[in-house]
Amino acid sequence: MVATETVLKTRPVSPLQARLRVATRRVRDVWYQIRRSYVAMAGLLILIFFAAMAILAPFIARYGPLETAPPCNALGQLCPPSGAHPFGTSFGNRDVLSQVIWGSQVSLFVGVLSAIVASVVGTAVGLISGFAGGWIDEVMMRFNDIVLSVPWLVLMIVVAAMLGQIDLTGLILVIGLTGWSITARVIRAQVLTVKERMFVERAKMIGSSNFHLLARHIFPNAFPLIFANTILTVAVSILSESVLAFLGLSSPTHMSWGRIIDESIDGGALINNNPGWLVVPGLGIVFLVFGFYLFGHALDEILNPRLRRR
Amino acid sequence: MGKLLRIVARRLINALVTIFGIIVLNYVLVRMMPGDPAVVIAPRLPGYEGLIDSNRQLFGLDRGPWEQFVIYLQRTVTLDWGISYRWNQPVAEILMRDLGWTLLLVGTATVFIIIFGMIIGSYAAWKRGKPFDLASTGLGIFFYGMPTFWLGLVLIALFANPSFRPAWWWPLLPSQGYYNVNLGPWAWDWAHVSSALQHLILPSLTLAVGSLAGISLVMRSSLIDVMTEDFVLTARAKGLSEQEVLRRHIFPNGLPPMVQLIALDIAFVIGGAYQVEVIFGYQGIGYRTINAIYDLDYPLLQFIVVVGGTAIVIANLIADFILLKLDPRIRIA
Repeated sequence: MVATETVLKTRPVSPLQARLRVATRRVRDVWYQIRRSYVAMAGLLILIFFAAMAILAPFIARYGPLETAPPCNALGQLCPPSGAHPFGTSFGNRDVLSQVIWGSQVSLFVGVLSAIVASVVGTAVGLISGFAGGWIDEVMMRFNDIVLSVPWLVLMIVVAAMLGQIDLTGLILVIGLTGWSITARVIRAQVLTVKERMFVERAKMIGSSNFHLLARHIFPNAFPLIFANTILTVAVSILSESVLAFLGLSSPTHMSWGRIIDESIDGGALINNNPGWLVVPGLGIVFLVFGFYLFGHALDEILNPRLRRR
Repeated sequence: MGKLLRIVARRLINALVTIFGIIVLNYVLVRMMPGDPAVVIAPRLPGYEGLIDSNRQLFGLDRGPWEQFVIYLQRTVTLDWGISYRWNQPVAEILMRDLGWTLLLVGTATVFIIIFGMIIGSYAAWKRGKPFDLASTGLGIFFYGMPTFWLGLVLIALFANPSFRPAWWWPLLPSQGYYNVNLGPWAWDWAHVSSALQHLILPSLTLAVGSLAGISLVMRSSLIDVMTEDFVLTARAKGLSEQEVLRRHIFPNGLPPMVQLIALDIAFVIGGAYQVEVIFGYQGIGYRTINAIYDLDYPLLQFIVVVGGTAIVIANLIADFILLKLDPRIRIA
């Protein structure tokens, strides 16, 4: 009774305001659970560390990503690790530490944007396929099977070759357009269960259009899953970027971590006694991916506790 | 029973459609790569200009795209894979030579992944929340996100590079090739076999680590899912020993998801094999594939993609059938 009175006393809210309030409350709930989860917080801290590195790169890197440092000896050999170059120098006498700091920008940028591309495509395919059912579902899922069955590295290299020149946009498209299959499957499965829920039946009964059903009922209920899935996809995309760079497919004007590793192989980091050139950018990838996995994994558990892995 | 038959037939038809799709997509993808194989193969020397045209004729690239497609389909269906542009040998012959080594590498890694992944995952689920569980889950996620090629390089630096090796360290392991080439051509004697096994350690370890972590993580969560079910509580309540609960109630219900995951994982192991073969100079199918892409060697590349894709489809099909046998719920639904 008390509750009803309080509601009546407040000013009427517009539907938009109401939805905003529900959304804020939901976000606050999730944030509360994230703060209680050690795994999520550990992941988040790692991500904040790398995000800070990427944003502050212009201030904390002593040299530019492609800038040549003054030579250390008369022979023009690479500098060994020292106070000026904690991890030595690489090709063209570039400071490895500065390259790694700048590289965080490229890896994060490519990873996040290609994950968004993959998620948008995967979500669209999953939503339509799961919602429409019938032959549309059949055709889309068969196509999805085909894409999943072609060896993914070959698929990526061929798409990269098709795009011709590789720049950051090209990389993002290659990784995004080859990485949506798993997302589509996950979203489709979620749509299939949401579709059977009572409120969807009810909305259908009162004559809601398909668009309304998708936009107002199915998408909002699949969204938490999409969000958690996107974060996990970022991790996969960062790995894909490094593999492509290792095979020589990287933007010539940007220094990603994958490209630094690739150059360290060609430049003989081990023979030149400079293991930092190989190890440090690799640790960057490992820890950044670790951060995304931890956070995404924890979020996945928070956002759908009843999700059964199949 | 009729229903079961219908499900099996449906899965079979789906698999056939998927394989046909792979065959078509393969043709389109390979031919959409920029560049002309006839030009790539011809030596860039004066006096060889005429070779480009004769190459084009020889490869049948002077015909229309539809005509080429029909020929490609006919050849694929009759399992006539043509002759490699680059190596001038029948594609099937080249790949049969490579396949043995790749299967050895991928097979060793897969067996290792399945056995240890399941053991670690089950033990972690059993000790849920205890130090072993926390450590194996944390390390699992850590290794799961490690780039395969980088791990290979680091292992080479640690185990195969004399300059960083402390004196008390593990003996040096070989890191290039299938076996010690100084032994001469392959023969089935102890020297060759032991050398091949030593050469297998680093590449298969590199290949296994990531997937091992993945399998153990899923095994753990799948078992934990089952452990929280009511029937497990009932089994304990009726006085079964922990051993029996595990063997009769938890494992039979926790295993079906693993079957499907292992089938899916094969695609990832194959993807990792490309990187491992390049890093370790292990010249199997993966190594061949990367070169076939750069050489625009259509017949070789087409064969690899079709066979690889079909293998993945068949693995999934087998997993589906095993699931059908293991999980009666699918038969009813």
